[in-house]
Amino acid sequence: MEFSFYEFRYAPLSIQIAGIFIVVAIVCTLLAYFSILVGRYRAYRQSERLKKLHPIIDEQLMEHILLNEELASDVPADQVQLPLESFQQPVFEKKWARQALIDRLIHYRNNVRGSMGEQLRNLYIQLDLDKDSLKKMKSRKWERKVQGLAEMSNMNMSIADVTILPLTNSNNRELRAAARHAYIKLSKNEPFKFFDVVTEPLLLWDQVELFKIISTTEHIAIPNFAQWITYSSNKSIVSFCLKLVVHYNQLSAVPAVIRLLDTKDHYVRADAINCLGKMKVEDVEEKLVHMYNSQPLNCRLEILKALGRISSGKYVDFLRQEFLHATDFEVRKHAAKSLINNKWAAKGLIQELIDTATAENKLILKHSMNPLIKF
Amino acid sequence: MDNIWETLGRIYENGVFIYGTVLLVTYALLAIFSMISVRAYAKRDNVDQLNTLLSSPLAPGITVLAPAFNEGLTIIFNVRSLLTLNYPRYEIIIVNDGSTDNSLEQMIEEFQLVPVDFAYNAKIQTKPVRKIYKSSNPAYAKLMVIDKVNGKSKADAVNAGINAAAYPHFVCTDVDCILDKNTLLELIKPVMQEEKKRVIATGATLRIANSCEFDQGVMTRMRPPRQLLPRFQEVEYIRAFVLGKMGWTLLNCVPNVSGGLGLFDKEIAIRSGGYDHSSFGEDMELMTRMCRYAHDNKIEYAIRYIPKTLCWTEAPVTVKIFNRQRTRWARGLAQLMYAHFGMFLNPRYGRMGMIIFPYNFFFELLAPIIEFTGIIYYIVMGIFGLINWPTALILLLFVYTYSVMITTIAILWDQLSFKYYRTWKEVAFLCLTPFMEFFLYHPLIVIFALRGYWYFLTGKKSTWGNMQRRGFQQTPKPAATAAAAK
Amino acid sequence: MSSKILLIEDDEVMPKIVERILHKEEYKIEHVTNGKEAFQKLEDTDYGFDLIITDIMMPYANGFEILSRVKNRKEGKPIPVIIVSNAGNEDMILEGFKLGADDFLKKPVIPGELLIRVKRLLMQYNR
Repeated sequence: MEFSFYEFRYAPLSIQIAGIFIVVAIVCTLLAYFSILVGRYRAYRQSERLKKLHPIIDEQLMEHILLNEELASDVPADQVQLPLESFQQPVFEKKWARQALIDRLIHYRNNVRGSMGEQLRNLYIQLDLDKDSLKKMKSRKWERKVQGLAEMSNMNMSIADVTILPLTNSNNRELRAAARHAYIKLSKNEPFKFFDVVTEPLLLWDQVELFKIISTTEHIAIPNFAQWITYSSNKSIVSFCLKLVVHYNQLSAVPAVIRLLDTKDHYVRADAINCLGKMKVEDVEEKLVHMYNSQPLNCRLEILKALGRISSGKYVDFLRQEFLHATDFEVRKHAAKSLINNKWAAKGLIQELIDTATAENKLILKHSMNPLIKF
Repeated sequence: MDNIWETLGRIYENGVFIYGTVLLVTYALLAIFSMISVRAYAKRDNVDQLNTLLSSPLAPGITVLAPAFNEGLTIIFNVRSLLTLNYPRYEIIIVNDGSTDNSLEQMIEEFQLVPVDFAYNAKIQTKPVRKIYKSSNPAYAKLMVIDKVNGKSKADAVNAGINAAAYPHFVCTDVDCILDKNTLLELIKPVMQEEKKRVIATGATLRIANSCEFDQGVMTRMRPPRQLLPRFQEVEYIRAFVLGKMGWTLLNCVPNVSGGLGLFDKEIAIRSGGYDHSSFGEDMELMTRMCRYAHDNKIEYAIRYIPKTLCWTEAPVTVKIFNRQRTRWARGLAQLMYAHFGMFLNPRYGRMGMIIFPYNFFFELLAPIIEFTGIIYYIVMGIFGLINWPTALILLLFVYTYSVMITTIAILWDQLSFKYYRTWKEVAFLCLTPFMEFFLYHPLIVIFALRGYWYFLTGKKSTWGNMQRRGFQQTPKPAATAAAAK
Repeated sequence: MSSKILLIEDDEVMPKIVERILHKEEYKIEHVTNGKEAFQKLEDTDYGFDLIITDIMMPYANGFEILSRVKNRKEGKPIPVIIVSNAGNEDMILEGFKLGADDFLKKPVIPGELLIRVKRLLMQYNR
């Protein structure tokens, strides 16, 4: 069974192809080994380098920045001249080391703010690390741009509108979102202007990021969210604003939320009812009970929950009615829970219900009364 | 007469040739697709994002469901490790599926459980629930234990958990699986980042825990299995998850979210009827039904996979138990294909009907059969002296090198994005495994699959193969921690 | 006499920051990185700490378990516990207080705030 090249040339086509692919497969396999080796070696070298560099960074930060005596003085944080000499080691001229320094500073800033946080930011500026971040924002790769944006925004560096605005309209969703988030955090003029123009849905993920930015950025002017609740045609913006209204307990927005009860979209309506319940708007109870029968299940459940949250004691009979006569299990459970929440106004009633209820209803009541069970 | 045989032989040969070519092309495409999606994932992978979600009051709630049957050896540590997952809003439901050991007593004692009057609503029918426990210690407020009559299947146990779950998503796992601490954050992320579709399930890579080191349910050292059989399975898992599932996720064609770890949309799971306790492959069966439900109700859905390893599971060490596991899987596949054959090449079911189902039918279900007939064919031809040996050997060599290449590429994708294993020696060790797979491991799989099909056809009675648990905590605890764990 | 503080935190840089905020002369800080070590330390020293600062999510045992163990101890002097975490979900904060946490600080912390709360709690408990 010896093959010569001659035999191969005159073999059937399928054999020839198979032969070629054998070579290709062997080459690919070898290449894969090589890539694994190189990849692992690089990662190993990087981790070794960082292992050596991190203690140096930490020590320098400890010595010169975090416990800078001038911190205690009255000089505004950003005017303190930091002792930069210690950071002017040759290693910090290398790109990877500067990146490691930026990452470390951000890591520190995620743990501490106040005067220490300000000094870390100061160091970032005085070492010209912001130039590195800006350079990243001009990179051709979107993920580098996102990284640059994240660094600038973490360090609270203002970015010129000409740089950031084009990015907010990028075709890449993630870049677009990151740019908008950074804009909201850093813009001095109208941080919330995207709420007016965004037409695509705001992803749940973006809402999480936005919520964090809005609720943690100092000196951000919280607008009246009623303007978007009333006028925005973007449902996700409306429902996000409802969450913000709850978070800021923004009573001035309540009339707009009440008007939303007439909206056609039942998901938004359910969100509005939820918001009113959490805000404990007592006046709205009558309207909620009145509209109850014409609502789909999700809105009904929200109305029941809202009555429990508001706990005015006025609609105990309604809740009892629903608890005893509704057919849906969830409806009965939520009616019972809200009854218990209203128990200050219904003590005798609850005892009576327990005494006379069917086995299942009794179980539901006990479930609702048990402090160990949350839902 | 001779002529007929010759023609039949030629048809068979050509058929197999086309089949083989399509299969090889499919694998090549999967390798490319998986590279694209693994790279896309790695670009988006970012610790800060996870931290943002971790601190957010807007994080969606997740229920973690873990059925347990006679896991007394490790249950306390495993529940403890579930209690330390990083996530702001979740509950843990352990379903004690009629264990005959003292698992329940251990949990009651350790976590100060008391029975509660829980308004349990059986949206999915299961074997009766005896009692539901919650902890009287607020430190364990997240924990709930359901004690139910043994239903002889994981499906029945998980269904009971789904009925009691409070949150809109649930993560299904096994009590003996070890989860990464960021599992919930990672699994919910694709759900929250999807733009237009509703993500009904997400899954992540599973690996073999056999040679990893554990301390009280926490993994301290990751290692590829030292024993041969589990190591083959590790390689197979890497190929199936990192190359297979990641390739399919790019096309939104994920055929199955593994039973070891998956996050599901509770509403759709319940509406689809929950897990089927009569199925031998209940995870894939549910996934198929959920897709079917979504199609029937015009819900634009997506199933996503992530390449990160989030779950370590114990693999069978003996051929006997491995046999039982694979026979069961094959039987489940045959069952599924039979039950849902209406979806096969049915354009009404979109990609499910036109891509996933045909792929599973031809390359998962039929593959062992075709391989087996191929071997018989060769033997027969050999007896009649009709084999052109050089040609046959070249083809064999081709298939061999190709399979080694595909597996090595899978290991490469995995290694490039995530540097699992500490030393390069362990990786080299792993890279050698595919060379033996073809001769040692693959024939086993074919035989066990055929056995499964046979059982399916004959309807042999079979119950849960209760795997022998080895128990994860090998080293005896130092006295101090034992005292502290009281 | 300096006060002994147990810091339970799995983040790398947080202990350094805390050490900077709470000066060596006044506070002696011992640092452990997970629930197991924390329990071990507490057992070994027979709960010999004046204050505990803990994160919530950590390997082996979470902050709530540590809190519950410390607060449910029958004998010995009571120890104040401050939770410092980046998980600032309202439910979690409530859960913490239900278990008897004395204070809850959300990361990133303000140095002055941490210092004042530590001082106040030490005074309160040493009266």
